[in-house]
Amino acid sequence: MIPEIGHILLILTFVASLLQVLFWCFNIKKSDDITINVLIKSTFINFVFILFSFGILVYSFIISDFSLVIVSDNSHTLKPLIYKISGTWGNHEGSLMLWILILSFFTFLVSRKKHQISYKLLSSIIGIQTIILCLFLSFILFTSNPFERLNVLPIDGNGLNPLLQDPGLALHPPLLYFGYVGLSVSFSFAVGALITGEINKEWARQMRPWITIAWSALTIGIALGSWWAYYELGWGGWWFWDPVENASFMPWLIATALLHSVRILEVRFILINWTILLSILGFSFSLLGTFIVRSGLLTSVHAFASDPSRGLFILIILGIATGGPLILYATKTSLFKEDKSQFNIMSKESALLINNLFLTTAAATVLIGTLYPLFLDAFNGNKISIGPAYYNATFAPIMAPVILLMAIAPFLSWGIKKPNKIAKKLIFLSVITLLGGLGLFMIDESSLFSIICGSLAIWLLTGVIVDLTFQIKATNLRLNSFKAIFLYFSKNNLGVHIAHMGVAVFLVGVTGEQFYKTEFNIKKNVGDIINVGNKSLIFDKVETLPGPNYKSETATFTLLKDKKIIDVLKPEKRFYPIEKSQTTEAAILSDFWGDTYLVLGDGNKETGWSIRVYFNPLISWIWGGAGFMALGGLVSILQSRKSRKKLKNAI
Amino acid sequence: MNPKYRRLIIIVFITLTLGLATKLILMALEENIIYFFTPNEIKVKYGNKQDIQKKIRVGGLVLENSVIKKDGTTKFNITDRSHQIEVLFDGPLPDLFREGQGIVVEGMFQNNKLIASQVLAKHDENYMPPEVADALIKNGVWQGEKK
Repeated sequence: MIPEIGHILLILTFVASLLQVLFWCFNIKKSDDITINVLIKSTFINFVFILFSFGILVYSFIISDFSLVIVSDNSHTLKPLIYKISGTWGNHEGSLMLWILILSFFTFLVSRKKHQISYKLLSSIIGIQTIILCLFLSFILFTSNPFERLNVLPIDGNGLNPLLQDPGLALHPPLLYFGYVGLSVSFSFAVGALITGEINKEWARQMRPWITIAWSALTIGIALGSWWAYYELGWGGWWFWDPVENASFMPWLIATALLHSVRILEVRFILINWTILLSILGFSFSLLGTFIVRSGLLTSVHAFASDPSRGLFILIILGIATGGPLILYATKTSLFKEDKSQFNIMSKESALLINNLFLTTAAATVLIGTLYPLFLDAFNGNKISIGPAYYNATFAPIMAPVILLMAIAPFLSWGIKKPNKIAKKLIFLSVITLLGGLGLFMIDESSLFSIICGSLAIWLLTGVIVDLTFQIKATNLRLNSFKAIFLYFSKNNLGVHIAHMGVAVFLVGVTGEQFYKTEFNIKKNVGDIINVGNKSLIFDKVETLPGPNYKSETATFTLLKDKKIIDVLKPEKRFYPIEKSQTTEAAILSDFWGDTYLVLGDGNKETGWSIRVYFNPLISWIWGGAGFMALGGLVSILQSRKSRKKLKNAI
Repeated sequence: MNPKYRRLIIIVFITLTLGLATKLILMALEENIIYFFTPNEIKVKYGNKQDIQKKIRVGGLVLENSVIKKDGTTKFNITDRSHQIEVLFDGPLPDLFREGQGIVVEGMFQNNKLIASQVLAKHDENYMPPEVADALIKNGVWQGEKK
């Protein structure tokens, strides 16, 4: 009975949101109190209904209600509670439920901005958001009903793919969706501006935090996915240029560009058309990502459903959501008048604009690499794959100038204002980078590319530090109390600095992992010792151990450095009898300077086991960098004018 | 700065970036595409002398009773049930590698043997890489997923 309530709630929301869209269409020109209140209230109702419906689905997973198809297909009574819950979105139907839950949540949050956003714009934003909600609700109701019942009740479920039974992956989809769906808000802002013809600096100021929050969530979501791939797949790598990864990376690149162009719009009131276009593209890329991942076109752990009707449905949604606004865009953009005075090539806005151009070009190269194999297959049946080599040859060179400019852009001023002490800053920056590059040159394993990549990281890191130091020196503020420091930093672009530092830290990690890692396979038996440099690994034993829903073959290694015991590493192979599959659990010893990564391969007592050893220098900086980027985003939201005022009053 | 001059700079810049990007993409595509073949397609295309000087991917089933492991090197045959190819691989095999499993091998030919740099078999025991599934259906060996 309870699942039926969930289903009915979904149908009710679908009907209610359809009515809401109709109501909006008939009142599109109106902006009175009643219209806006009706829209706000119905948005709230949509959100509550979907929340309950989603809650019911989670509840069905928790109590293992195997009369539901998706529960019996994806869960099992023996599964730990957290994976029962995360199993809710570990399948096609449930992940769509999560999608609409977040969508209605965002719509609800925007609808509360009645006092900040003009009624005309707000009603359009709610209208557009509700149209998207309608499309996805119909997708769920007509092709992917999560509350479908089984005729015959099974004794137990099929279990969840063991690869997905992992804490990193419990959080990866919600965060990623938060990012994807968050981009719908800026999309609605843009389409709303096209409909109402209303655009000003305030529009940009209101929109920016939504992009920032979506961008931060997307950053963490992607990083979690990459981290999971690193420790769970046992391949030792963190990014494979797999189409599924690209699907999330493209919206990230566009969102990064958008984040900067909307800032230009806010300060200088130029690039209106460009910003609107990016807002539309950002969400389109999110939908494209969903399409690529969910359509079953690709080989991946994400391709739950290979039902062609579903792929077609998402393609139709993608067509409506991209085509409609783009037509509107083509007809309406000539209306917007920009502030054309005072253009200066040596200004912050032109640096940001150039980077925008590079970022979108980079996104285009990823797009081509991702879609080209699909097109080729459709046209002449040739099957090809495009690997990392393609991206190293296209994406990397396009991103190099981005990093160069990233360090300099904060030195420059907006408009025609003369930048402060730029020559001095540039000299500092160049000297330190040259020294760093020389340092890299002295390392034996260095190659041309490792020096370039490492120098870029040093360049950016130095750039951030130099800019911060000069800023603090320039103000005669005595930073002796917590309050002064806090107020000082909340007045300046600290968020930008943190995020840029995140990119630098990330690049340090990439340099270490890409160019200085050691990796080898070896066949060893119990009692053997593996020596690498000043480290050695002693193979102690292999045992068979029971787990909650698996059996494990666990090896024990003692890691020594300079003859001193550092730690014990226990790589495993797990066998899941319910799912009839095996996973490799790498043993990873992580510290600031790098990881020791051990994988246990096939073998037995007679022949020994094949063992894979990786030393990945600085690899945790990659995820640390992503963490800083997201933190920078959050800080910059907190720095927005209003919250700054609040803080001032509070302290 | 006057608007005409400014527009010119922007247009020149955009053209340069896009030109550079296109050039890079075309070069990279030409050099880095990895084609996918079935063992039979290789036989038809290149005859028995298999000396393709490029990295390729071959998809098919691991032939039953063909897997020999020795000193960390694995030797096996990959088949689409009409032709088979000998594969040598000295890395760790994926968890799902077993006889009869649909897999994809990436590597280069040397003396009629495929020296694999990567063996891909992913995700679950019923899973068949789409490329392999297509090839097997074409040869009438497999009818697609039973459901």
